[in-house]
Amino acid sequence: MTSPVLTVENLAKRFPTGRSGVFVNAVNGVDLTIAPGETLGMVGESGSGKSTIGRAVLRLTEPTEGKIIFDGRDITKIPEGQMRPLRRDMQMVFQDPWSALNPRMRIGDLIAEPMKLHLGLSKSERENKTVDLANRVHLRPEFLRRHSSDLSGGQLQRVCIARAIATNPKLIVLDEPTSSLDLSVRAEILDLLNEIREQTHAAMLFISHDLGTVKLISDRIVVLYLGSVVESARTDELFSNPAHPYSQSLLSAHLPADPAAKLERHVLKGEIPSPINLPSGCTFRTRCPVAKDFCEHEVPKPHHIGSAEHQANCLRIPDGGNRIAQTETA
Amino acid sequence: MAETVSNGIEQSTTAEPGFSLKNRLIGIARVSPTMAAGVLIVVAFGFMALFAEFLMPHDPVSAYHDRVLQPPSAEHWFGTDGNGMDVFSRVIYGAKFGFGIAIPAVLLAIVIGVPVGLIAGYRGGFLDEVLMRFFDGLRVFPSIILALAVVAATGQSLLNVVLVLGFLDSPVFARLVRSEVLALRSSVFVESAKAAGNPTWRILFIHLLPNAVQGAMAQTAVRAAWAVRISATLAFLGVGIQAPTPEWGAMIRQGAEFMVTGQWWVALFPGIALILLVFGLNLFGDGLQDLTDPRRRAAK
Repeated sequence: MTSPVLTVENLAKRFPTGRSGVFVNAVNGVDLTIAPGETLGMVGESGSGKSTIGRAVLRLTEPTEGKIIFDGRDITKIPEGQMRPLRRDMQMVFQDPWSALNPRMRIGDLIAEPMKLHLGLSKSERENKTVDLANRVHLRPEFLRRHSSDLSGGQLQRVCIARAIATNPKLIVLDEPTSSLDLSVRAEILDLLNEIREQTHAAMLFISHDLGTVKLISDRIVVLYLGSVVESARTDELFSNPAHPYSQSLLSAHLPADPAAKLERHVLKGEIPSPINLPSGCTFRTRCPVAKDFCEHEVPKPHHIGSAEHQANCLRIPDGGNRIAQTETA
Repeated sequence: MAETVSNGIEQSTTAEPGFSLKNRLIGIARVSPTMAAGVLIVVAFGFMALFAEFLMPHDPVSAYHDRVLQPPSAEHWFGTDGNGMDVFSRVIYGAKFGFGIAIPAVLLAIVIGVPVGLIAGYRGGFLDEVLMRFFDGLRVFPSIILALAVVAATGQSLLNVVLVLGFLDSPVFARLVRSEVLALRSSVFVESAKAAGNPTWRILFIHLLPNAVQGAMAQTAVRAAWAVRISATLAFLGVGIQAPTPEWGAMIRQGAEFMVTGQWWVALFPGIALILLVFGLNLFGDGLQDLTDPRRRAAK
């Protein structure tokens, strides 16, 4: 087995709130691995810490605890000066393409920038590659001389993707790359990303709050709740056999393609709890339809469900009470 | 903000064929007539400064001992001063000092202030505190008193006047750039630049600077007006530039003695020139600020 591109061990990030001793627990002990060429989808509500994980992986925010191993090298603590050459192999696409591009730079210069920083090509080589990249992301070359204010959201996101693949990185973190775009454009961008996945064999960490989007692109999915992984599985496995009550309720909220399919909907009660005061024991218990008293006292450990790649952190898995539908019919 | 500003000018200029200076001025005049008036005044004085040698009917520093303190006449339009020098020629030559001090002083203030503002705003924390408190300290002193003291202490030369004015004015630019950078440093495009692998100097000067200088650039004309005023004041007080140098402040001081005896022309004409240039630069600067500040534009 090839060694993973990215391994995250027990990652935690706490943000100070300004009051001493009070922290926002954005990420609480997350483990992840991504194999070369693999696309890992990361799903969670807003406030689940998914963007923080994506930014911590690229050292755009400093993790409070844990380890980030990129391409066999522990990058958790290395200074920014040593980090910079590594950024050639790890790029990012942001959620809002309107604000992710310097408004004073030309599109062509923006796409060429990572090459200028990392590849040491001559100016003409760089210009040729910029046109190539524009073609690969289906952006008409005449846009290269424009500024970002002249382009639409979908076009801008293509520019961001071209920037991200310009140096042939081993890992691309995509932080909700489609959620600020119109539905029709969303599909085009997802198609483009799938195309790029096949062409470049870059590993991707695809962050989204929308299961339907993640399903279309991911090999594997991790489900986050309040800064912890509650379930991870291969995409088809998660959709056919969700083990964690939270995954089950997310899936029931997601409309299937077949309108005749019977819908069992489990709408979660209440709001996601404050990450300042995390619930004791299982953090999901306050909204969990199958929670028992012991969920308050014990922190759930990952349980294997069937295959080794399918894990869920629910205290009710051993007694089989983790199925929402079962409890309701019972 | 940037687009709407440039559109405001572009729409009115593109209506005219070509981009000649005349058409540009017409474009500015439509958006802001007072700014156009300011530009006209400043351009006229700039013309005077550049071509003073061709415009002066007499040598500004050669004394006609037989024509001391003559009132305005066909030969000497603005009369002659206490040394018998032609006031009209001296007023024209004085424009050279106005621009010759103001432009390098403002440039120096930008060269010092803008990088300090960039670094203080981007780094934040202790460095920001130290730099900004030091600059606040500079601003606490009345600038004329401080300029007087420094020029008097460092020696009487034009270069010192420029250096002192530039240094004293740099906090204005540092503050403006810093406040912009504070707003921009957490923006996504800066994070995106870092994620792409930009070193700090590129983030500061390639990514932040072009997005942060607009407000500071809008201040240049107003700060030039300040520099003209302060340098004339220093000369009036006899610091930096001395009579009989044809500098307006020095001329006003010399002329002030003759006001009581009725020879009003010696001080009046350089005074008018000084007021006009400062006024023009301020109109120009106000227009620039109106164009770049959306709140001020909305108020109109």
